[in-house]
Amino acid sequence: MGAPLGSFGVATPWLLWLLPLALLPLLRSATRRTAISAVSAAPADPLSAALSAVLTGAGLLALTGLIVALAGPYRAGESVTRTGIGAQVSMLIDRSGSMNETFAGRQPSGEEESKAAASRRILGAFVGERAHDLFAVTAFSTAPMLVMPMTDRRDAVRAAISAIDRPGLDYTNVARGLGMALSQFGPAAPGVSRALLLVSDGAAVIDPRIQAQLRAEFAKVRPNLYWLFLRTKGSPSIHDKPAGEDTPQAAPERHLDLFFKSLAVPYRAFEAEGAEAVAGAVRQIEALERDPIPYTEIRPRRDLTGYAYAVAALGLLLLVLAKLAEADFLRQGARATGERAAPAGQAGAERRKAA
Amino acid sequence: MNPVRHLPLGKNLRDRRFQALAAALVLALAAVFAGPLPLTRSGVAVLAVVDITGSMNVRDYTLDGKPASRLDVARAGLRRMVAELPCGSRLALALFTERRPFLLFTPIEVCADFAPLDGALAGIDWRMAWEGDSRITAGLHRAIQMAGELDTDLLFVTDGQETPPLPSTGLPPFDGKPGAVRGLIVGAGGHALSPIPKYNDRGREAGFYGETDVQQENRFGPPPDDAESREGYNPRNAPFGASAAKGTEHLSSVREPHLKALGAQTGLAYAHLDGPDGLAATLTAAATPRPLPGRIDPRPFLGGLALALALAAFLAGFRPARPLQPTRM
Repeated sequence: MGAPLGSFGVATPWLLWLLPLALLPLLRSATRRTAISAVSAAPADPLSAALSAVLTGAGLLALTGLIVALAGPYRAGESVTRTGIGAQVSMLIDRSGSMNETFAGRQPSGEEESKAAASRRILGAFVGERAHDLFAVTAFSTAPMLVMPMTDRRDAVRAAISAIDRPGLDYTNVARGLGMALSQFGPAAPGVSRALLLVSDGAAVIDPRIQAQLRAEFAKVRPNLYWLFLRTKGSPSIHDKPAGEDTPQAAPERHLDLFFKSLAVPYRAFEAEGAEAVAGAVRQIEALERDPIPYTEIRPRRDLTGYAYAVAALGLLLLVLAKLAEADFLRQGARATGERAAPAGQAGAERRKAA
Repeated sequence: MNPVRHLPLGKNLRDRRFQALAAALVLALAAVFAGPLPLTRSGVAVLAVVDITGSMNVRDYTLDGKPASRLDVARAGLRRMVAELPCGSRLALALFTERRPFLLFTPIEVCADFAPLDGALAGIDWRMAWEGDSRITAGLHRAIQMAGELDTDLLFVTDGQETPPLPSTGLPPFDGKPGAVRGLIVGAGGHALSPIPKYNDRGREAGFYGETDVQQENRFGPPPDDAESREGYNPRNAPFGASAAKGTEHLSSVREPHLKALGAQTGLAYAHLDGPDGLAATLTAAATPRPLPGRIDPRPFLGGLALALALAAFLAGFRPARPLQPTRM
């Protein structure tokens, strides 16, 4: 990119080194020259002088226009910061093997949809609808995986979401996944709403040591936390107290919910037992995340090459007309009437220059 | 009296400089109205599968004067490759460990979505691995199947070290059709044996693997042919011999013969990863060229020619003038 002059610039600046060539019309004209013995033989003719100046100008215009057009002039695009409605959404998606089962806990057959396929469809629509959101995608099973860093490129986010109904891995290790999903937010930006969306079909015990770390991270990032719990029919709910001992090992879902509630960040859990319930929950989240967010809009730069060619064409047109109207220094030319002054005078001017 | 009648029009039209300027005018006008011309270029669509098993942490490369692990160089190589691929090419990313590739995202375009793609490649880490095994043959076979489903070519970056080692019966059979999916196996690693770093459960480095830390021989399946000559061999109680297996499986180098055999079995090309550069050219040579709609701007050609003609018309003015001669009209 060339050094912009104000908001103007050229694509290939080195071509502008050819610009001195555009001064050529000052030295020589494109019209025919004839040697005569004495230039003073022709009377001084203001019209001829003016025509000569116009043609020199046309030559300058044509060559300058062509050289500038070749360099590719443009008016620079600008990035404008605006405020829209949206949020930074970090999605943390469970890729454990059980996500490939249906909500009834079976292998999907026929028309049935697995939990992963349902979340793929519904989250894909969610990404498509929100115009000014930034999304990040993190997957987790045994280990957390950074799938897509925070971005506004919808296609990339959709590509990441369309991979989530592939066969999953082994376990549900939610603690490390939460850590990575929080790290996706990056440094704090003032006035930006942040949401962490956890999509899982199970929970796991969070090591007390990691609990303290996570608590500190949540306090720093302060996201709105949404847990979309895809509950398999017959499995314990978030709110079910186990019959026996109420330990995290016996009821990990309930204790993960309790842990989230103790974090002092805005938190909501959605328990979905079918695709419609998932869609309903996502709609609710969408309605809740309606805060202003600054976003950058890039205005494309405007190509001015066509105008430069048009200017060059104007200069060339004048030169071509002059060449067509060229007359030679002849006896008849000298006897020309006032009507023929233009071509004859022009020829006279050229002769004076040539002499 | 019409002045035009007295002009030497025929002579003017025959004038070389008139012709040059008129041609330049036509070219300049064409450049004003010319739009971009459609053009077909070739790009690639590829599924990149990166081995993130333990042996990829071996530091036997140098990057910017510092020792670098195979994974570092593979990551840097992929990032440079993405920057060099023609716009319109698409890349999907999967990780390999255990015995299967794990797809992170389906193909995305390398120019418009460059920033997130580059970020995702930079984020590849061995800590994402979900299991310790490294059954490369099985992983490659499944990666080929995955590339077929995604309708892409395959780029499989690995050092070729199978953990556990392959049984004496050799390569498992390949079910697919060799050559149906084209692509490239990229062998990462030096040719000399290097120690493999070991990490503790907090992810901190804790020395290197020793000879007894890893499985030196695969003792599943039938014993090898030379088993009878081993010390303490007993067909029923000690079919692999009585002594513990010894070997160099705790050290790692790029297993080129194995990777070339895999390439021959599956119809993929093989290339060694010499450094972070040059992956784009190697891949383009091995992959299926995919026609991409491209556009070419004809204006520089038109404008350049117009400029040359206009300059010639003015430069011709430096010729010495002809003496005055009466001409007939």
